[in-house]
Amino acid sequence: MVFARVATRRLGAVVVLLLVLSVLTYGLLALAPGGPEQALLGERASTPETRAAIRLQYHLDEPFPVRYWYWLSGALGGDFGNSVYFRQPVLSVIGERLPVTTTLAGFAIVLTLAVGIPAGLAAGLRRGSAIDRGVTFGTLVSLAFPPFGIALILLYTFGVALRWLPIYGSDQVANYVLPAIALALGQAAVVVRQTRAAALDVGGQDYVTFARARGLSRLRVWGSYSLRNAALPVMTVAGLLAAANLTGAVFVEQAFSLPGLGSLLVQAVNQKDIPLVQALVLLGGAVVIAVNLLVDLLYMVIDPRVRHGAAA
Amino acid sequence: MRAVLRKGWGPSVAVLALLALITLAGPWLAPYDPGAHDVDLGAVGPSAQHLLGTDNLGRDVLSRLLAGTRTALIGPVLIALGTTLLGTTLGLLAGYRRGWLDAVLMRLTDLMFALPGLLILIVVVGVAGGSYATAVLALIVLGAPADIRVIRSLALSQRELAYVDAARTLGLSGRRIMFRHLLPNLGPTVTANLLLSFVFALIALSGLSFLGIGLPAGTPDWGLMIAENRTILDLNPWAAVAPTLLITITAVAATILGDRVFERLSA
Amino acid sequence: MTADLPAGLPADPSDELPPGVLLSVRGLGVGLGGRPIVDGVDLTVGAGETVGLVGESGSGKSLTARAVAGLLPPGLTATGSIRLAAPAGRPGPPVELAGAPERVLRKIRGRRIGLLMQDPFAMLNPLLTAGAHLAETLPRPARGEVTQRLAEVGITDPDVARRYPFQLSGGMRQRVAIAAALAGDPELLIADEPTTALDATIQHEIMQLLARIQAARGMAVLLITHDLRVAFELCDRVQVMYAGRVLETGSAKALATGPSHPYTLGLINALPAVERTAVRLEGIPGSVPRAADVAGQCAFAERCAQRRDDCLTARPPLRPAGAGRLTACLHEVVPRPVASAPEGPAAAAREPSAQPLLLVEGLRKQYGTAVALAGVDLRIEPGERLGLVGESGSGKTTLARCLLGLTEPSGGRITFQPPGTPRHRVVQCVFQDPSTSLNPAMPVGATLAEASGRAAPGERRPPGELLELVGLPAAYATLRPHRLSGGEKQRVAIARALAVRPELLICDEPTASLDVSVQAHILELLRTVSAELGTALLFVTHDLAVVRQITDRIVVLLHGRVVESGPTAAVLDSPDHDYTRRLVASVPPAPALTGRDACTS
Repeated sequence: MVFARVATRRLGAVVVLLLVLSVLTYGLLALAPGGPEQALLGERASTPETRAAIRLQYHLDEPFPVRYWYWLSGALGGDFGNSVYFRQPVLSVIGERLPVTTTLAGFAIVLTLAVGIPAGLAAGLRRGSAIDRGVTFGTLVSLAFPPFGIALILLYTFGVALRWLPIYGSDQVANYVLPAIALALGQAAVVVRQTRAAALDVGGQDYVTFARARGLSRLRVWGSYSLRNAALPVMTVAGLLAAANLTGAVFVEQAFSLPGLGSLLVQAVNQKDIPLVQALVLLGGAVVIAVNLLVDLLYMVIDPRVRHGAAA
Repeated sequence: MRAVLRKGWGPSVAVLALLALITLAGPWLAPYDPGAHDVDLGAVGPSAQHLLGTDNLGRDVLSRLLAGTRTALIGPVLIALGTTLLGTTLGLLAGYRRGWLDAVLMRLTDLMFALPGLLILIVVVGVAGGSYATAVLALIVLGAPADIRVIRSLALSQRELAYVDAARTLGLSGRRIMFRHLLPNLGPTVTANLLLSFVFALIALSGLSFLGIGLPAGTPDWGLMIAENRTILDLNPWAAVAPTLLITITAVAATILGDRVFERLSA
Repeated sequence: MTADLPAGLPADPSDELPPGVLLSVRGLGVGLGGRPIVDGVDLTVGAGETVGLVGESGSGKSLTARAVAGLLPPGLTATGSIRLAAPAGRPGPPVELAGAPERVLRKIRGRRIGLLMQDPFAMLNPLLTAGAHLAETLPRPARGEVTQRLAEVGITDPDVARRYPFQLSGGMRQRVAIAAALAGDPELLIADEPTTALDATIQHEIMQLLARIQAARGMAVLLITHDLRVAFELCDRVQVMYAGRVLETGSAKALATGPSHPYTLGLINALPAVERTAVRLEGIPGSVPRAADVAGQCAFAERCAQRRDDCLTARPPLRPAGAGRLTACLHEVVPRPVASAPEGPAAAAREPSAQPLLLVEGLRKQYGTAVALAGVDLRIEPGERLGLVGESGSGKTTLARCLLGLTEPSGGRITFQPPGTPRHRVVQCVFQDPSTSLNPAMPVGATLAEASGRAAPGERRPPGELLELVGLPAAYATLRPHRLSGGEKQRVAIARALAVRPELLICDEPTASLDVSVQAHILELLRTVSAELGTALLFVTHDLAVVRQITDRIVVLLHGRVVESGPTAAVLDSPDHDYTRRLVASVPPAPALTGRDACTS
């Protein structure tokens, strides 16, 4: 069946992408100042013995493809080696930080969609009205807001000046309110613009007029015509945003001192903790690729043209 | 000029022009040496001596802001020019000539879109012990794919129009068709891309320095100032809020200008 | 059928409609922010009657139709009265549709008034199957009803119901759309250019289908079309619109044989006929004004050869002009005799020579497994005018593109005389769509100067001279294309093509997107320049009536093969191949004005 063929081709592309990403990631080690040996040694004493142990443990005397293969097979089995700084397995370091990031990402994406889609529809349906102009200008401004800037202003206003919400900590829901808003503001603007464009595009289509000309109910014209067709591009954007948040909302986490994957990455980069960086980049890439794949599959379910391979 | 003001471009143009002026004249405008510190004074709020107060080390915030205009603007301007030049040229070539170049570029941009760009930026600049220059280069490479894609798809659709066929029928060279016929019709998009890239680069570069990557600590830079001074929000909020507002105002001005220019040119 | 309706007489909105009247529109206006686009239109449709609303682009005919269905595009507002008779069997006062709330309109739409739109590719929801479109529109879908409804529009393959729009051809989609529009069994179907986007033979089939369904159901049809011939062939009554108002209305037969408005006469004179070649094609000078600019005068006055002073002082009312006829002209229309050309001396003079200008041998082109050209042979003598006729998918455009060097052929040979001349000095092209054939960023003069620079050194002409060659003022050189009308753009495109003095001018459907009155001008211009400069023409078209006016010889292309060729008149008068016969049969007959036949040789 066509569906299976298209899906298989997509999966094949995903595998290739992941392999490319893994090679790039592994290549990072070579970039590190002082070479891989120094990077993996970290703060430990540099003696001939420790160096030899590192060389042996990480197969540094083997040629690049062989070393890469050892690393990849380990990574596939969940073994990314030990964090140089934390002195414990990379995966368990990541596991500790993961809940903070997923909580923030979930919070932000719900907020983004809950604000973005209705605002975009309202603007798109009343093209040229005061609402439309207001919303469009609002998105223009929010898009240009740097996320760490929003974070700082929120922090100052509600945390320092008004003292409504806590500034530090990551164990209460209240800790996530400001970060989620900071993250959602710019993203909601993206969703608003996409939804508005989709609503405008679909609203002007002949098939919507033809549906109304046949006396179909408002609910039907809305559900099965406007929303379903407008949903496709909005879905893509929402997926990409979710993926970006899951790989760590670096700026916002850093600004609010939330111990998530984003601030972990910054920490690992600053400490040249290569095994940890490698794992974070590879996992981040995998999440982006997986979300893209999921969106593609959803497209296939919703749009028969994609399902039958008639359109890309 | 009057037309510019009437169209509501005035504030945007004024903000950007003022910033450009400060970039050039910064050192003469600053009331203090941006590096001069006074640890005994520490962080204090605005006063007649220090209009925006001082930071933890007693450095004058206003002077540091003025000096920071350089890193804040020069890098993004270079990045905007670089990505737009690269993206427009490659996009035109790919869209008009098609063939192997197009195939290669599309696979490459596919790859770059499928990767977490921000992560890679942080890692490459951070791990390679990167400087400001590395960050600028990396941002040009990261920003170009979007421009390539946009210009290519526009070139593809323009290429289907009869005026391009007519030009080819007249035996005009590919270069002439691309740059004399296609490019003027892509003008609004290229201009909008230029300003959008500037905003993207401004936020990304100051974001990097906010994370402590790309610039050595102590450099007067807006992003770095936010990072260093966010712990003294209670003592002198202006030390962190002022650079935040400056970045935001600059980005918003450029975005609005881009939007207006696009609408004006494509009308 | 209902011949003597009191169309156009002022009516009190509270009145009952006269018996037999289904729809009565009085004083309809459509405006955009206070600027009128449709102005004071009256329209009456009787039960079971077919009424044609005819006009060129900008006449307001489509907006009138949309206003009746209550589906004007956002921003446009309707004024006046649109009344629909009470449903048959339930006598009562008529329903006022103008200004009615959406809740009332929704009950009327689909069930009492159906709307069929122009583009079958855009009218169906891409995410729903053909069957789903029908099922959601049927009031109470019974088992097998979808199949039955599809059978009514000539779709017997039950599989079609399960297919998505993108899996169906244009003709199939339009059939599905018709079935969907009729699913609520409306008493009035508004068909807005329902076949314009389709091939000639499919157009003919769909029109015949509509006529059949109309007769079988006894349904009224309001047919919106730009094609007078179609309206005359299918409609009981025809109403001619211009610049947002009605200029003439009457029975189709009366209008076709003796129009009582100079505009209708002009339109009929501009129509090319597949049956004969006109000595001179008469277009209408000038272009359609905006409704707002001619509010207080005869809208057609500026372009009218019979204009008198009183045409400009007040807006002429619709006055009776014979049985069931109304005209908005104050004066009697004087028909001018139009002569046909004696056929073929030019064609006969051109015997195959040893040195044809263009020789095509076994030309093939494949796209993957799809064959666009399957071995085409062709020759064009110097100065000859050859027609290349075919429908979409026949390969005619691919052939033209191969000759121009825009597409690389997969096999075969193309030889131009004299050998060694650069191709761009031998062959040039006028493309179909004038709206895209000029670079919008370049002034007209720069476009022409660039083209002129490609001519042989001794033959370069300044832009002003080129503009005058195609009947445009030299001052146009400073304008950008968006300032020109469609016809003017096409003239500039012709000037650009002629700038290099080519031996052969390929015309790829150069009038397909132009109004008929403009088409006549362009065809006449092409005939003149070809004769004066001795340029050979390869005229690519699907329109047999047009090809008859401008070519000596034609070649009929089907699925990438030549199926018939010969002198134009001979092929069109007695086609040999079955496909050519079908093509000829699908052209609606041109109206024969009284007094016109006498001049035909």
